This record gives sequence, C-alpha cells and structure tokens, in this order.
Amino acid sequence: MEVFMKRKGWVIVGIVSTLAVLTAILYVCPAEAGKLEDAISKTPQGVGKGMIDPNAEPGFMGIPGAPKPFWVFTILWGVWVGWIFSSVGAFGGVMAGVGHITVFGLADYGKTFKDTNPTLNKLLTDSIRVCNQYLVGFSALISSTTYYRMGRLVLPLGLCLAGGGILSGYLIPKLTAGKIDLSMYVGYFGLIVFAVAGVLYYETTPKGQASRKAAKAATKAFEDAHISKKAGSTDKTDDRSHGIRVTHLGILRIAFTFYGVEFSFNPVWPILGGFVISGISSFIGVGGGFLYVPFLTSVARLPMFIVAGTSALAVLVSMISSIFSYMFFERIPVDWLLIGTELIGIFIGSILGPITSKYIPEIWLKRLFVVLALYVGIGYTTKGFLGYSVLPGL
Amino acid sequence: MHPVYVAIDPYLIWFYRITGYAFVDFLIGTFVLAFIALTIGEFTISLAFLAGRKRIDKTNAAVVRYRNISIEALKAGDKKAYHAANKLANDAFGKSFFAQIALSAAFLWPIFFALAWMQYRFSELEFKLLFLERSVGSVCVFITLYAAAYLIFKRIKNKLPYFKRIKNILESYQAGAGDMKSLDHLERKSICRKA
Repeated sequence: MEVFMKRKGWVIVGIVSTLAVLTAILYVCPAEAGKLEDAISKTPQGVGKGMIDPNAEPGFMGIPGAPKPFWVFTILWGVWVGWIFSSVGAFGGVMAGVGHITVFGLADYGKTFKDTNPTLNKLLTDSIRVCNQYLVGFSALISSTTYYRMGRLVLPLGLCLAGGGILSGYLIPKLTAGKIDLSMYVGYFGLIVFAVAGVLYYETTPKGQASRKAAKAATKAFEDAHISKKAGSTDKTDDRSHGIRVTHLGILRIAFTFYGVEFSFNPVWPILGGFVISGISSFIGVGGGFLYVPFLTSVARLPMFIVAGTSALAVLVSMISSIFSYMFFERIPVDWLLIGTELIGIFIGSILGPITSKYIPEIWLKRLFVVLALYVGIGYTTKGFLGYSVLPGL
Repeated sequence: MHPVYVAIDPYLIWFYRITGYAFVDFLIGTFVLAFIALTIGEFTISLAFLAGRKRIDKTNAAVVRYRNISIEALKAGDKKAYHAANKLANDAFGKSFFAQIALSAAFLWPIFFALAWMQYRFSELEFKLLFLERSVGSVCVFITLYAAAYLIFKRIKNKLPYFKRIKNILESYQAGAGDMKSLDHLERKSICRKA
C-alpha cells in the first residue's frame, strides 16, 4: 500500500507540475530573431573565408555553407564513441568532442569567423560545447537516475556535491557563453584530454595494475576465509549499529557511521569538488563524470553503493542545471539532427563493445586510448594556444 | 527540410490540426509527438538490452559481488578487505555506469529527431511566461509534455504485449542474479532478528 501511495504521489506531482508549466505559458508570440539569425545577418556575405553565402546549401545548425557531415559518417562516429563507452568508459566523451571539433570540421569552420564576425565564432564555440554536453549529458542523466534510485545517499555529502554542481552549472554558462573563442576552447579541451590520458595511463602502469591485483587477492582471501565459513555457521552475527547515521554535522567536519565504522569528510572538499567537476563538464561539454567516483572514493573512502548514489545525484543535478542554463537562459542553438544521428551510432556501439571485448584485452584498449589521448591532447593544446597543431590531422 | 521529414511531415502535422484552436492543437500535437518518440525509444532500448544482456549481467554481477563482500568485511571489522573489495566494486560500478550511458542513447535518439522536426516547423514560436520577462520556445513545451507522456506510458507499458514480455525476461533474470545487499535488506533482517 505504501509503495502504491508513493507511486501515485509521483504521478500526481508529475501531472500537477505539467499543468503548472503549461498554465505558466501566458500566450504565444512570434519569436524575436535568435542569437544565430542575428549573428548570420551581421556576417559579410560572399564565398570567401569568414563569409556566408546565403545561396549555399544549409549545413550545421542551418547556416548556409556550413559543414554538413553525411549522416552515415555521423552514425559511424557515434558507433566509435559508443564502442569506447561500453569497452573502457571514460574516453568516449572525449571522442564525442573530437568528432564535433575535428572530424566534422566544425571548429575550423568557426575559426574562419574570428576576424569577420567574432560573435558568430563564439556562438559556434558555445554550440559545439552544448552539442558535446547534450550528446553525453542526456545519456548520463538517464543512467544517473537509475543509479540514484538503486543507491543510497549520505544526504549532507550529496547536498554539498549537488550545491557545488548547481552553482557551476549555472555560473559557467552565464560567465562564458558568448565569450570563448574556438581556439581557446580547443586549447582547454586539449588540457582536459591530458587529464584523461593521465588517469588511463596510471591504470596501465605496473603500479596501477599491482594495486588492482592486490585488491583482488585481498578480496578473495577474505571471501574464502570469512564468507564460506559464515555460510556453514550457526552463530548469529552480532549486528553492531547499522545503516547510515550522521553523527556529527559541522562546518569543517561531517561524520557518519555505517555498520559501526565511522566515515568523515570536510564539507568544503565536496562543494569544491562538485563545483570543479561540474564546471569542467559544463565548460568543455564532456568529462567530469569519470572524476566523481575516484573523487568520492578518495575524499571519504565511502562504500561503493553510497558513491554510486551520491555521484549519480551529482551528475544528475549538474547536468540538469547546466543544460537548463544553456538552453533557457543563454538560448544557445543546437543541431538536433546531428546529435540524433550520433546517438543512433552510440547505441549501436554500445552493443558492439561487449562483443569485441571478448577478443581484445582491456589493458591493450587502454594503451591504445592513452596514445590517442596524448595525440589529441598535444594536437589540441598546441592548436588552441599556439594557433597551429604540431601533429597532423588536427 | 530534410527529405525524410518532407515524407513524414503531413502525418505529424495532422495531429496539430485536430480542434482548430491553435494553442490546444499545438499541445495535442506536441504530446502525440512526444509519445511517439517515447514509444520508439522504449522499443529500441529494449532491443539494445536484449542484444547486450549477457554483458550487462556480467558487469552487474561483479558490482554485486564486490559490494556484498565489502559490506561483509565492514561487518567483520576487516578494514583492509573492505577497502580492497570497495575499490573493486567502485571500478566495476564505473564500467557499468559508462556502459549504461551508451545504452541510454537507445532511449534518447528519437527525442532529437522530434526536436529537429519541431525546429523546422515551429522555430518562430515563442511562449511568454506569466509574471516574467522571459519566453520559452517549443523545446520547453516538448520536454514538459515528454515528461507527462513518460509518466502515463510507465503505467500502461506493462499491459502492452511486447513490453510485458520484456518485463518477464527482466524479472526472470533478476531472480537468478545475486542478491545485492542494500541497507534496506540489512535493516529488515536485523529488525526480524530482534523481533
């Protein structure tokens, strides 16, 4: 009965919220010229660099003459991204960004307007960022909801993380939309790729692998010694205090117990961590999500299901606030068709990943992605901050 | 307009011309569009799940196994074993999380195609908000009605034959999977023991 009432409650909340939003829409009015139309109208017309030929075929975001990747290529790139997500994980978001920046030629196209129309240059930067975020972020929203429902949450920790996430999810679009030119964006993207490369590289080193082997050995030893013994035992376990109990709530220290073991953290770190991680995700459009789990594990060495629920909440909240800010406050235009075709590819890739993982050891995949990440990192950083890439193809 | 949209446009726009009252028709048409996008998304994610469930099982089994061991280690007061099992559980969770992100694309892709069509048709529409100087576009209305469609679909989904079958498959394999220890599970056991 309680479950039924909870479900019914959510349905009622949902219907009331929908009605509230719809009644808040006072009346329909014609749209004012959007940011994109405005920027296009101020761009010199012609067929030269940095110009727009109004008679050209519409491409990216409907801009005449803009790159128009063939839909098969966008699906194929999506397959690559989805394959990476389901094989290794973190690097998929980076590759999604590489597709928008380099493979589909959007960054090079946007750069041509640096002198002729800097506003359009920056608007295209924001659109690329937002496309990255929608592509990865919406999907993360769905999986985050699932994990949040499954997991448990240390409320003060979740609030700190979410608070930092909401703040940066609002501030970053507010402070940076329309202000970042493409070169700078590509440079910062390159720096983030170096961070991802570092994480992946560590996992392939003997030290990184040794710590995992040691963890497996310790786990197996405990499992054999303790859990098998318990299965045959008639002794009742003396349950000490169990469940999450917050024992101390302070400005510099929050403590809670779980099964009699005390965990504690300084709330400043999750707020800062939530702000930085969400900020990276909001600024670059990808990345950030993979940082939550190691961050939470190192801040308080929390049990996994708390990390699952808490990090999922943080991703959920920061994605909602960032996407909402870009969509409704900054009104950044988006190429929906591009993202839609890429998502088809990602879902195909997500099915292929488990099949190929039987034949390709994960360690070799990680090594391949470290090389790729270094290549992209060096190329983009030099392209962004020096004006040219020292490596070909970028 | 893209040739694919040129072909389906007459069918989609029909839902926007039912009553003759523009705003009401817009809401009805957008709701139907959202419902179609939702149904297609649910169908494709069920296909992706059927295609990849062995791997999903394997990854989830690792999460369950190490998570349970970490809880047992915590109960036994063995911190070394707890940290070891917890690290492996977190690694397995990370893998599972990113795999789920990729799988979620199977649910989301129709939304973007629906929004692309709406952009062709309704990019010039804005809706002013009550008491605010702001306005929103058709995307906001679509997302709101999509959420409403989701709530309704959730209640009727398991009555549809195909989705009923998927639900049965899910239930049968969840029954065979490892029992993930959760706080609720441990608390209920403790309460029963005390009683």
